[in-house]
Formats: sequence, structure tokens, C-alpha cells
Amino acid sequence: MTTNVISLVSIGAHPTSGRARRAEQDARAVELGLQMAGDKLQVLHAGNINEPTLRSYLGMGLPHLHVLEQPSGADALPVLGDYLREAGAQVVLTGSQAETGEGSGMLPFLLAEHLGWPLIVGLAQVESIDGGVAHVLQALPRGQRRRLKVRLPFLATVDNAAPKPRQSAYGPAQRGELAAHEVEVEEDELFTGASLQPAKPRPKRLKVIKAKSGADRMKAATAKASGGGGQVLKGVSAEEGAQAILKLLIEEGVVR
Amino acid sequence: MSDIIRRDPRAEWIARNRLHPLHAAMQPVQQSWMGPNGVMRKNVHGVGFIGPNGIKRIDRSGAQQGGAAKRTAAVEVQLPLHRIAEPAFYINVVPDMVGGRLSSHDRDLLGLARQLAGHDGAVLAVVFGEHKESAFATAGVDRLLVLDGHAFDGYSPEQRVQGLRAVDNQFNPRHWLLPDSRSGGGELGRRFAASLKERPATRVWQVKDDQCIGRAGAGQQDVARPLPRVILAAVECAEPVSDTRHEVLPVELSTTLARSLPRIEDLGAVAVDPAAIPMAEAEFIFSGGNGVKDWALFHQTAAALGATEGASRVAVDDGFMARDRQVGASGTWVTARVYVAVGISGAIQHLQGIGACDKVVAINLDPGCDMIKRADLSVIGESAAILQALIAAVEAHRHGAKRDAA
Amino acid sequence: MLNTLLPILLFAALGLAVLGALRRANMWRRGRASKVDLLGGLLAMPKRYMVDLHHVVARDKYIANTHVATALGFVLSALLAILVHGFGLQNRILGYALLLASTLMFVGAIFMYLRRRNPPARLSKGPWMRLPKSLLAFSVSFFLVTLPVAGILPADFGGWLLAALLSVGVLWGVSEMFFGMTWGGPMKHAFAGALHLAWHRRAERFGGGRSTGLKPLDLSDKSAPLGVEKPKDFTWNQLLGFDACVQCGKCEAACPAFAAGQPLNPKKLIQDMVVGLAGGTDAKFAGSPYPGKPVGEHGGNPHQPIVNGLVDAETLWSCTTCRACVEECPMMIEHVDAIVDMRRHLTLERGATPNKGAEVLENLIATDNPGGFAPGGRLNWAADLNLPLLSEKASCDVLFWVGDGAFDMRNQRTLRAFVKVLKAARVDFAVLGLEERDSGDVARRLGDEATFQLLATRNIQTLEKYCFKRIVTCDPHSFHVLKNEYGAFNGNYQVQHHSTFMAELIDAGALNLGQHKGSSVTYHDPCYLGRYNGEYEAPRQVLRALGIEVKEMQRSGFRSRCCGGGGGAPITDIPGKQRIPDMRMDDIRETGAELVAVGCPQCTAMLEGVVEPRPLIKDIAELVADALLEDAAPTKAPLKREPAEVH
Repeated sequence: MTTNVISLVSIGAHPTSGRARRAEQDARAVELGLQMAGDKLQVLHAGNINEPTLRSYLGMGLPHLHVLEQPSGADALPVLGDYLREAGAQVVLTGSQAETGEGSGMLPFLLAEHLGWPLIVGLAQVESIDGGVAHVLQALPRGQRRRLKVRLPFLATVDNAAPKPRQSAYGPAQRGELAAHEVEVEEDELFTGASLQPAKPRPKRLKVIKAKSGADRMKAATAKASGGGGQVLKGVSAEEGAQAILKLLIEEGVVR
Repeated sequence: MSDIIRRDPRAEWIARNRLHPLHAAMQPVQQSWMGPNGVMRKNVHGVGFIGPNGIKRIDRSGAQQGGAAKRTAAVEVQLPLHRIAEPAFYINVVPDMVGGRLSSHDRDLLGLARQLAGHDGAVLAVVFGEHKESAFATAGVDRLLVLDGHAFDGYSPEQRVQGLRAVDNQFNPRHWLLPDSRSGGGELGRRFAASLKERPATRVWQVKDDQCIGRAGAGQQDVARPLPRVILAAVECAEPVSDTRHEVLPVELSTTLARSLPRIEDLGAVAVDPAAIPMAEAEFIFSGGNGVKDWALFHQTAAALGATEGASRVAVDDGFMARDRQVGASGTWVTARVYVAVGISGAIQHLQGIGACDKVVAINLDPGCDMIKRADLSVIGESAAILQALIAAVEAHRHGAKRDAA
Repeated sequence: MLNTLLPILLFAALGLAVLGALRRANMWRRGRASKVDLLGGLLAMPKRYMVDLHHVVARDKYIANTHVATALGFVLSALLAILVHGFGLQNRILGYALLLASTLMFVGAIFMYLRRRNPPARLSKGPWMRLPKSLLAFSVSFFLVTLPVAGILPADFGGWLLAALLSVGVLWGVSEMFFGMTWGGPMKHAFAGALHLAWHRRAERFGGGRSTGLKPLDLSDKSAPLGVEKPKDFTWNQLLGFDACVQCGKCEAACPAFAAGQPLNPKKLIQDMVVGLAGGTDAKFAGSPYPGKPVGEHGGNPHQPIVNGLVDAETLWSCTTCRACVEECPMMIEHVDAIVDMRRHLTLERGATPNKGAEVLENLIATDNPGGFAPGGRLNWAADLNLPLLSEKASCDVLFWVGDGAFDMRNQRTLRAFVKVLKAARVDFAVLGLEERDSGDVARRLGDEATFQLLATRNIQTLEKYCFKRIVTCDPHSFHVLKNEYGAFNGNYQVQHHSTFMAELIDAGALNLGQHKGSSVTYHDPCYLGRYNGEYEAPRQVLRALGIEVKEMQRSGFRSRCCGGGGGAPITDIPGKQRIPDMRMDDIRETGAELVAVGCPQCTAMLEGVVEPRPLIKDIAELVADALLEDAAPTKAPLKREPAEVH
């Protein structure tokens, strides 16, 4: 039995140039979907069908991409929810956070709430799907993994621990088909009060010295700055050197 | 250190024993003496001490005198207690409590909460399960609510959201603050907000006059909006509390939590082969370069230490390591907490790649190489001998630990 | 008896040869159409053969003379033999002529035989070891058979035994030379080679011309394949070209990837394409295999995908597109075109650019530079130089094309040095600044024709807006692409490499140069400057002007060995036994030079990646900038000073 997998994709923005591209995490969601369902994978986008960047998802070898046509600023949540329920999705994959717009990463959570489905955050790998129950690996910081058991249907977000997306090729991207679906448009209320502005560089936190006396201030100013010049062990035996290294590793907690 | 002045009989003995190698060091530094003509002489060079940058400092307060100030008068300043008897409102904070303690992110968040609470509000910290933290008071927690119970053990996001909803019903806080982190807060906050049907402000890095600014999209834009009820704040969103003490009064939930069947079941952590951890994420990298001659020994050491292997470009070019193991500007930019560089001289591209590493250990033959300048600890010597000693030391350490446990 | 047997043998062999030729031609016609001047090519063929091809062969005098003797002898003997023995024109003069021709052929064949006694590794063995003997059999048999015709011996001399022997000899000779020629024997090279020269895909290469730019794909034509997936996706004259290979292995000897132990051998690649066009396996290949890949495990046919049947993808990605094979090939086969054609399929259709390839292409699309740097930082290297922008000036003499080296800290030194030279020479120059994009070189070599055309058309649109006399660049890759590959998209400019431009400045006396101090210097020819564009002299001229006597490497000029940085090879990064830049550094060390002058950011990066100690690497612009005498005014434009008024 194959699982009905749907990947949700959005339009991304390159981190340095800001130009439109396929979103990194969404592309990973497509990749994971392709690994799970192969040709049967459905890929869904809510937004403008004329966006040329959508073709870069098709370039991953998808024959179709379903587009729920919406103007920008419309709320994607209800239309996505309706589509997913009607399509009988069992596993819905999406990136953790959009690269454009607000990018709050709330969509999967709201969608899960809307559908009443469980949500897995940071899906790294689907180990097995058996009898309506999936065993999956969740990515934790520092490359660690946690095994979870979840009932179908479920939603999952993927982050950078998911498999690297395959290259988008020009040929399939040109041949693939963008299938438009007309849906009702609902205005998103967030942008009534919020405004987007170019990112300001965040100030670096200064080491604030709260000194009660001049002497304290003096002490703080002359205290050894951390990281300036390390300890160099020269002319020690290999054993002593090894002990010193091991001591540091144990202190840092990386050797247990 | 105690403030009582104690005699040090050993130091006195050394000061008397002129044959002792440390004799000279134990002599009191003579700052002024009577010259042969009855004029007072001063040793101007003896005044002051050498500061960290090699510049001589003279501290006339008398608090610091060269190495002589052995007993620092470490007076524990008693910070003023900030008391809120009848909170007008609550600002709720759910700290991550990584390892059972407040992280620096949590402290920043509490600082922000304190800012929002002002004089009348109370900061209520909600902590799940047991904790080891003893410094809630100085971190700015007025009220502490510990949600205990097996339901919150392990990974239990749905149960925790239920807990937070119960807290929400009882205290009806003005704001909910959660850290927008990967260690749980980001996820829990979003789940909670979704269940409250609130649109949270995410990645917030500045709160000012009921307006908050958070990063949007891929970090190219900011979104400014009126302060919502649920706030997921980034690191360094505010200064942590530093000059007040708080009550940390325990509060309790008046209702018992309904237990629901969790739809996500935690089957526990999976043992991850350190070699399989992506380099960019690995916490502990053991990296080899041109100076490594015995690669079998190198791999053996990495396995013994349980470290993820890395390599310099040259080692990769020479075919000793796979390309995906290359650390540096043209390879992977790593973020390891501990980075051990064996036989890597430290080309600029390589040093760029380890810029985010916390502690760097270098093993190298050449004491003048750039890696040693970067390293926190360097051992100069033949790598093979040191690696062998390291394997032996690790094994001895592990055996010792086992014996202790037994 | 011979008189009856010989015509039968001759005409049977000829008839079979014609059949074989038709069969072979049908194989070629499986390829796609190609615009070729069929008749004009045929008419030009003898000249191409005797002049252009001979120039290449004549680099090796021994083989050139041997080939002239053998080939001329054979062509004459064959024609005369058909007249004399086929049509029975037992004319004495013809007989003598035939004797002379077969003697000539015999002499050539003897030398050919001597060469084959202890053949170098690059030569194919197998049937090729038989060929000198077949040539000898042909020439000796026809010599002896013709002796009676010339009247030197009586007609029935030697009796039936000799006659039988001779007929066996003739049979051997004609089957190798006529039948084998069109049925896949070693002599196929003569037949296919002649037609290949006539219908070559780059006719401009003949008559001293140069044609090195890759041919564009027509992306608007939806029916055309994107690159080459199966042998039949090559154009028919490419297939014909593969058939022309003589397996001399000159390409193999020149190939840097082969020498580095990467799984590429240009000769084997061409032979695999021959296997592909005819169908079968590579088991019969009698030369050096791809390093690390045994012969006999690959096979294919015209309708099967090439990659992972006939050749492995990593073979194609090992190529640095240095064009050393094409330069050496006596049959003027276009290896690089074929490799890029197949790469195009892998990238455009399969999305299978290895290693960092995908990332680089994505960066090129999103940021216009392969490193993914913020496009707004393109001019950061020159923040303090106050460079004139073309968008402000609108016109200038020299447009300085900076290239992607602008993002590389090492190359920024070169760029700054060149700006110093430009300023010292008071050249009216400007840069495009943020309007510049990657030239598209890497994208194109990685097979991403779509991204190349995107970048090229946008660059051309930018350049169209402005007025300038010429483009000068420090990057031979941009130089080549701007000069030779933008033409297909209506971007025709006068483009110069900075070494050429500096040579001109020096000639004109616009630079006041001192002498280079200290170390001995060698020069490394960048492939895209030398072999691609024939500029070997200008950089050396500049170095001479600095008082440098270049200690030439053994492999320099058109034989220069690649640094390993071209064709996206550092990006696709196929492992070998050693690294190409290390080998090149050994070449450099051999000269004993302490400094190597280069003229290419890629070469600089690759050579500086070699572990120290090694000779210093400096760009020519840096050497010139170091030698500039700043205080004295240039000789050409002496400063005019108003005489001070004296009161």
C-alpha cells in the first residue's frame, strides 16, 4: 500500500540576494516526499501560478504541481486545509518556515490545529508506515535523533536535517505542468497591523559592566579577555599532552 | 574564599628557606626603604602590575597589588529584593530549561518579561518536571509554577500545551513569552499559540512601546507589529535581570490536568553514529590534516573519543578523507563546540570554517603555525604518539568511570 | 592464373568496401541533422588533409614522413592496381609507376613496423599491431605481382607456388586495405577521416582559423534534445568524427585527468562513442582503459543512454575542458564538444551535476556568481579605488571586465594590481560594477546551457546600453566566453586579455617600467588564453619587458598542462590518484624557477592550493604593478609644466 503524501511548497528567497528561488526547506519536503511516494507524490502551492520559480520544483522531476490560485496577502490556511482533506492526504510535508513574508513558521501548526491532525516538528526520516501508524525520526539539535510513533494522517515539518533536495533540472522544469485550482480568497488579517521592513542589523550585545566603585570598573577593564591566546604545551611528553587534551574534552562534556 | 586571614605555614617556611627554589617569590616585595644617606627610596618599577595586554597598570585603590592580592575580598552583594504582593497582572514565561537549568536565552527572556511586568506585574515562570536551577531569584522570577507529573516526561508537546492552557485559564496572563529556540521553546510556543488561536510574534528581537520587531522570512526583513499576547523571542531579545532579586513564590494549579491520549508517542532517543552526523551540526569534531601520517590511528582515535571526523582540504585532496568531510570556506562551515585539529597548520580558509567553534585544540609539530594561534589548547609534538596516548587516556578514563559507578 | 584471380579479388574487395561504406554511412545518418556544406567540404578536403592535418601530424617528424610515404604510396598503388590488375591495362609505364608507388608504400610500412616494435603506452595494440604487416603484405604482393607487367620478370615466373603465395598476400592486403577500411578495420580512419575533414563541424578551424567556442543549444526548439543522451543524439558529422579516430593516443598523453588517474581517457571515450554508434561492447578496445575502470564491462548501442551503459558519469565530469586533446588530435576530433554535449543532458535533463555542481548552478541563478555571495558586494574590493562606473560615464575606451574574482580575496590583489597599471597608463577605463554578472563560463562547461544563456543574454543587454571600444579582462575564461561565445547571441565585442592589453601599453610606451627584481620566473599558459585563443606571445612579451627571461617548462605554449581548474572540474571534483595542480607544480619545480607568472584567477587558485614549500605564484598584472616606476612620468605623455613666472 502506498501512502498518499502531499508536500506543500512556497516561493523562497535567496539568503544573500533575496531573489526568488525554490525554498530550501520546502525543497527538502519535496525530496522526502519523492523518497516516500515516488511518482505518486502530490505537490501543492497556494499563491500565484505565474511565478516562474514554481518551475524549479517541477525540475525535481515532478510531472504536475497543483496551485491553489490566490493573490498575495490571502490566507492560505482554509484553502489548504480543505484541499488536503478532500485529497485524502495521509502524510503532509512542509518546510518549517517560509523564506518570504512573515515566515513565522505558524502555518503547519495552524493547519494541524485546523485539521485536527498530529504534527511532527523537524521530521528527518520516515522509518516505516504500517497499519496507519508511522515510525519516524525527529531531528534534534547537534545531529541527534528521536524516534516517534504517530498515527496517520499527520503533518510534518522538515528542517535542514531532512535529506538534501535533488538538483532542479531545466528540461523537466519546462515540461512539467502547473495545474491551477480556483479557490475562494480570504484576506489575511495579520498585515493590517503589521509592516514589513528591511532587516536592521541587530546590535551586538556589549559587555555591560555594572560597577559600584572605580576600583571595580578598573578590575573589569583589566580582567583577562576570554579567548585571547591559548595554552601551548611544548616539550611535554605525549602522555601529558594527551591528559591535558582529555581534561579539556571532559570539562566541555564531549567525552563522557 | 573565606575572608578570614589565615597563616600559610608552608609559605612562611619557604620564605625562611633560602635554598628553596620558590624562596625568591615568597619574599615580600620591598616598595620603599631607607637609603644609605637616610633618604627614603622608592622602587617605582615595583608599583602596579602587568595587565592582560602587557601594559603596566597602577591601581591606587590598594585593592590589587601585583600578585600580592591573594585573598580577594569577594563580597557577595545582596541585591535589593523586588516584592510584588498583589500582582496586577501576570507575564508568563516558559523557559526551555535545557539540562534542568536556565539557559542564557531563558535569562534574556526573563529580562524581557521583567521589562513588560513593570512595577505592578509579576513574572510567572512555568517549568515542566524537575529542575536543578537555584538562581530563579536573580533571574527575575516572581512566581514559579512547576508542572510535575509523568505526563510531561520526555517529548510530550501535546500534554504540555494542555498544561499551558490550564495555566492560561487560571492566571489569564497579559503576555506569554517563550524562547524561539530549537530546544523546544519554538515548537511549544507555536503549538500553544495555535491551540489558543493566537497569532504569535516570532523571532522577536526588540520590544518597545507596545510594538515588537521580529525577523521575518529568511532574515532579510523585519516585521513590526503591535505586541501580541504570545511572543516567541529570539536570543538577546532583552538584557537579563541583573540588579534585583525576586521572590520566586511557588504557585500551584488549582485544577487537575485532564490527561488525553497522546497522538505522538516518544520512543526515546536514537543512538546516532558520530560519523553520520552532518559536519555542520556536529558538536565535537576531530579533524585531520596534512600532518597526519597514520590515518588508521586517526580513525581509531576519533572512534575512541566518539567524535565526528573532519579534514583539511589537503587531506581530502590527497584522498585520505571524503570530500563531505572537508572543513573550511570551500567545504563545510562547522559549529562544533570542541574542534580538535590534528596536523592542520590552519590555512585562512580553514580558520574561516571553524570561526564559530567554541574551543579549539591543536596537535601540531610546528609551534608557529596559525592553528596554534587560534587554539585554546595546543600540544606540540608528533601526532601519532599523542593520539596513541589519547586513546590510552580515554580508555583509562572510561574504565575508571565504570569502576566508580560499580 | 593470377590474371584472372587478381581482378576478382580486387573487385570483390572493392564491392564489399562500397557495401561497407554504405552501411557505415547509414550508421552516421542515425545522428541528428547538421548544417554542413556537403560539396564545398568535399572540394576543400584535399587541402585540409594536406595542409591543416599535416601541420598537426608534422609535430612528430618521424610519423609525418612515415605517414606521407605510406599513405601516398597506398593511394597511388591502389589506383594503379585497379587500373593495371583490375581493368588489365598491362601498360609498362603504369607498371613502373605501380612498382614505384608500392616501393614508397613499402618503405613507409617498414618505418611503421619499426615504430610498432616497441610501441609507447598511448598507442592501441590489437588490430593496430597487424596493420604494418598488412601494409607490408599489400605493398610487397603488388610489387611482385607487377614485376611481370613492368617487363622485369617473365609472366609465369615462379610457377603456381609463388602465384598462390602472391594471391594470399594480395588477398590479405586488399581485405585489410579495402574491405577493412569500411567494415571497421584500422584503415577505417582513412575513409572516415577523409569525410570527417570534409564535413567537419568546425570548418573554421581549417586554413589557420580557430574555432573554440561551444555551440549553443536552441532552447526555444522544444523538439530538440537537451544535450546528448544516446549516441543518436549527436549530429551525424560528430558520429563521423568519432569514426575518424586513429587511436594514436596523442590525446591520452596530453590529458591532465588521465595523468592524474581520474577515470578519463579521451581516446577511450571516442572509441566508446564508436562502440555506441555501431553497437556492442568495449571488450575489443586495445588501448589504455579509463584509470580504475577495467575494459569489457561497458557496452551500448545508438538507442541506449550513454551514461551508465557505455561510459560512467564521472568519466565525463573528470574533463577540465583544457582542450589539450583537441589540440593534439591529428584527426581534429572535437572531444570537448562531445563531453559538454553529454554533460548538458546530465545537467539539463537529469539534474545530476555531481558534488558542488548543483549548488554552484543554483548560486549562479540566484546571485549571478558561483559562490553565492551577495550581488551587492561585487565592487567591495575596489571600495577605496574610486573606480569610474560605466553607468555614470556611459562611454569609455576600455571596459574592464572584473569577473567573479571580485569576490575572491586572493584575486582581488590581482585586480587591484591591474587597476594600478590602468591608472598609471592613464587609460580611459570604466567598470560595470554591480551591473556585471558571471560570464556564464562555469555554467556552460557544467552543461547548464539554460543558465549560461540567461547570464549571457543579460550581460549582452547590459553591454548594449553603453559605448566602449574594447573589453579587457584578467580572467581568460570570461575573455573566451565574451569573445567567442557571446557572438551566437549577438554580442560581438573586441575583447582582450589583460596580458595582451598590457603588452600593447608597453609597446606604446605608456608604462614606465622598472625591472623585475630577484627570483627566476617561469610562465604557466592558461588553457583558455593559449589553446582556446592562441595568445602565447603577449604574456611573454610583457615578462620580457620587465627584464624577465622566462624559464620555459617542458610543457608550455600549446602543450601547456592544465592547472586542473577549468571546466568546473574543481566543482565536480572527481577523485583520482593525484591532483592535477600538484603535477603542474612539479613541472614548474623542474625549471628551478622561484616564481611562476600566471594570467588566470583559476590557475592562481589551483596552484596556490599546492602545499608549501612551492614557488611563489603571481599574476602578470601583479608583476607589472610591482615594477611600475611611479614618480617619473611616462615617456609618451610628458607632463607639460607652465614655466614659473619670475618677477
